[in-house]
Amino acid sequence: MIKIVKRDQPSRAIFFFTPVLAIFLTLVAGGLIFFILGFKPFEALKFFFIVPIADKYGFSELLLKATPLCLIAIGLSFCFKSNNWNIGAEGQLTFGAIVSGGVALLFYEQEGFYILPLVILAGAIGGMLYASIPAILKTYFNTNEILVSLMLVYVSKLILDYLVVGPWSNPEGFNFPETRQFSDSAKLPLLFEGLRIHAGIFLALAAVVISWFVFYKTYLGFQMKVSGFSLKTARYAGYKGKKMIILVFLISGACAGLAGVGEITGPIGQLHREISPDYGFTAIIVAFLGRLHPVGIIFASLVVAITYLGAETAQIFMQIPKYTGQVFQGMILFFLLASDYLLFFKIKFIGSKK
Amino acid sequence: MNTNLKISNVTKIYPGCVANDNVSLEFNSGKIYALLGENGAGKSTLVKILSGVIIPDEGKIYLNENNLKLNSPLDAKKNDIGMVFQHFNLFETLSVFENLIIDSDEQRESLREKIDTIMKKYNFSIDLDIPVLNLSAGQKQKVEIIRCLIRSPKVLIMDEPTSVLTEQETSELFLSLKKFSEEGILIIYITHKLKEVMQLCDEVAVMRKGKLISVSEIKNENIESLANKMVGQNLKTIKKKKAKTSSDKLIKITNLNFTSEDPFETNLMDINFSVNRGECLGIAGISGNGQSELFQVLSGEIISEKDSIEFNNNYIGDLSPQERREYLMAFSPEDRLEQAAIPQMKIFENVALNNFKSSNFFNNGLINENKIKEHSKKIISDFNVNTDNIELKSQFLSGGNLQKLIIGRELITSPDLLICFNPTWGLDVGAINYIHETLIKINEQNKSIILISTDTDELLKLSDKISVIHKGKLSKIMNAEEVTSEKLGILMGGAN
Repeated sequence: MIKIVKRDQPSRAIFFFTPVLAIFLTLVAGGLIFFILGFKPFEALKFFFIVPIADKYGFSELLLKATPLCLIAIGLSFCFKSNNWNIGAEGQLTFGAIVSGGVALLFYEQEGFYILPLVILAGAIGGMLYASIPAILKTYFNTNEILVSLMLVYVSKLILDYLVVGPWSNPEGFNFPETRQFSDSAKLPLLFEGLRIHAGIFLALAAVVISWFVFYKTYLGFQMKVSGFSLKTARYAGYKGKKMIILVFLISGACAGLAGVGEITGPIGQLHREISPDYGFTAIIVAFLGRLHPVGIIFASLVVAITYLGAETAQIFMQIPKYTGQVFQGMILFFLLASDYLLFFKIKFIGSKK
Repeated sequence: MNTNLKISNVTKIYPGCVANDNVSLEFNSGKIYALLGENGAGKSTLVKILSGVIIPDEGKIYLNENNLKLNSPLDAKKNDIGMVFQHFNLFETLSVFENLIIDSDEQRESLREKIDTIMKKYNFSIDLDIPVLNLSAGQKQKVEIIRCLIRSPKVLIMDEPTSVLTEQETSELFLSLKKFSEEGILIIYITHKLKEVMQLCDEVAVMRKGKLISVSEIKNENIESLANKMVGQNLKTIKKKKAKTSSDKLIKITNLNFTSEDPFETNLMDINFSVNRGECLGIAGISGNGQSELFQVLSGEIISEKDSIEFNNNYIGDLSPQERREYLMAFSPEDRLEQAAIPQMKIFENVALNNFKSSNFFNNGLINENKIKEHSKKIISDFNVNTDNIELKSQFLSGGNLQKLIIGRELITSPDLLICFNPTWGLDVGAINYIHETLIKINEQNKSIILISTDTDELLKLSDKISVIHKGKLSKIMNAEEVTSEKLGILMGGAN
């Protein structure tokens, strides 16, 4: 007989084990889906998860996709840890990209060492500005930040659309919805000849280190932790709640904005319609899969990045639509939430009593 | 017709705690039974089993020799067991009548007649057509009772019914309960208040740590004997020496008002009082009359006019809790688990919640963990917190130990004024005594206390002066010697 018993306390080992379990269950369920679709499950999973990263180029692509996911998820964890539900990182990424792209276009015929820092800074500021909207509305008008931040995503995408077909479109571009190419000084340098991985990865790594330090070593991190557990306690302790809400949104927006910079000043080097395959939304899954822990987020971003690559390989070799990648991302989140049940309950196998 | 209710060998085990350990009891109609025990003794678990909310691991319930299968509250209702919970289960915005008929499938007209008869019979006067939120706590309780009576129950269980009532409402309730009992309804009365047991009941069953300790007739018991059975040790009584009178004003509240945007909060109206050094001001009242708002205004969680609060000759009405702490105020809120401490965090992390500049917990924005830990160890030994592991998550502390930790955290900075709100709520008698002794000690050191409490006995024991809060207004401040619990009761009910 199986009996489900409540745990006395959430188990720490299980806390880090459930993400692994979730990934395993996703693989099993994915294999099952492939089988139903008429593919050989193991072969399909190989195409999905191993082939894409089997060579140097593939590995570079993996890091390329993991970089924005990691960066955004780190930013989001500042919000999520302190009970602020920023769902609009995709919008902050887009707006950051717009502002930094705008600066890059200003200098499109110029070269100079100062251009890239300006472009990066502009991206961070753009993301912060855009994140400040839900933060200010929440603190001063009691609006729900989930709704506001989410809806602003669509606003930012429409702004981008308008700019790339209208005022910012390339005059020599035959009416394609894209801007001019940025000058080389406005682009993040590529790390290796022939690979697309660029210096943006260092921004992500810096974010990991800084966030770890802030979370576990600073008063701000302590205040975020307390607010995350109980806003009532935070108020009683006398923390400045409003200031903190705005601060975590700004940090989160800056990270998303920087991810946007990476997308447009990396290999592509221009603004166009679709700068992000929903990195801002997928990063929410990454943040939770990584347990809002900086190191966990590194691993989670790598795992989720594979689903992007795998979907492309599967489309090429197996003629499956690339949206399968989203199915896998959804399954990871689903299984993670489901296996979190094990945090609070344990399954006991008991011999039947006679 | 006689009703006989039998509980036979009931056991309920939760992880790490045996809530009911092989409990057997028998009740007969015509008598009022008290189920007495401290918080956590297992009495609530037992009555939840009787009302179908909890299913026991082992044991059986018999009503008139029939074995009852109580798998849901509905089963209990069907078997004529009625229960009035400590917290009301009423829809505030629906009318009284709608609340009464909500779980019934009888015709509205016939129900209305039935309700009218019940009200006439027991002398209840409640307007059936006004929304429940306009009722007083006592009236709401009557609605709950009528809801049970509609089903003409054989058994009526009352869970700590007087915790929200005034003295007058309590005696009305007792009259009704006696009447029900005369009519053959078996009454089981759950409480930890000894006085009520002596006043109301015929037989008393005492529980302690999940076990049934004794069943006896009231006429063979007295308050001391019951208290000793309940606690399992001989209690020492503590008494406060009268404070040295000083006229040195420490805190002065002038024309303080608070208007809330939340309709479920109470507005504070024109609060004026002052507390001298070395004095304890008690603020009595039935819960929900503005105590929580008053606490928050005093602690700085709610900011008010700068000059409405004068502390040590500084105007501090517009300062945050943290800033007020620097002026040597300290606060112990009512809700230990959701406000005063965070159960999921370690003991030393909870200590850091009272961030006092001179304690150097945080330097230049960085956590100074060694300092916090050092400080925590001192609190644990100074205030008798029963653990030596400051890395322990505070959810593993008992209520009493957690409260000692909180009071210790607030007092270790030796503040001039401690504001506490129901500091002994839900604690066992040993911990209550310890907290009371600590509070008396503070007064002896010429420090002051504002004690907001719903426990009248506690207030009478500790206060030098007492005021009563009712619907957000304070009564005049009285010397504690002139006050009796009856007088407080009248003021708590809103009369002058």
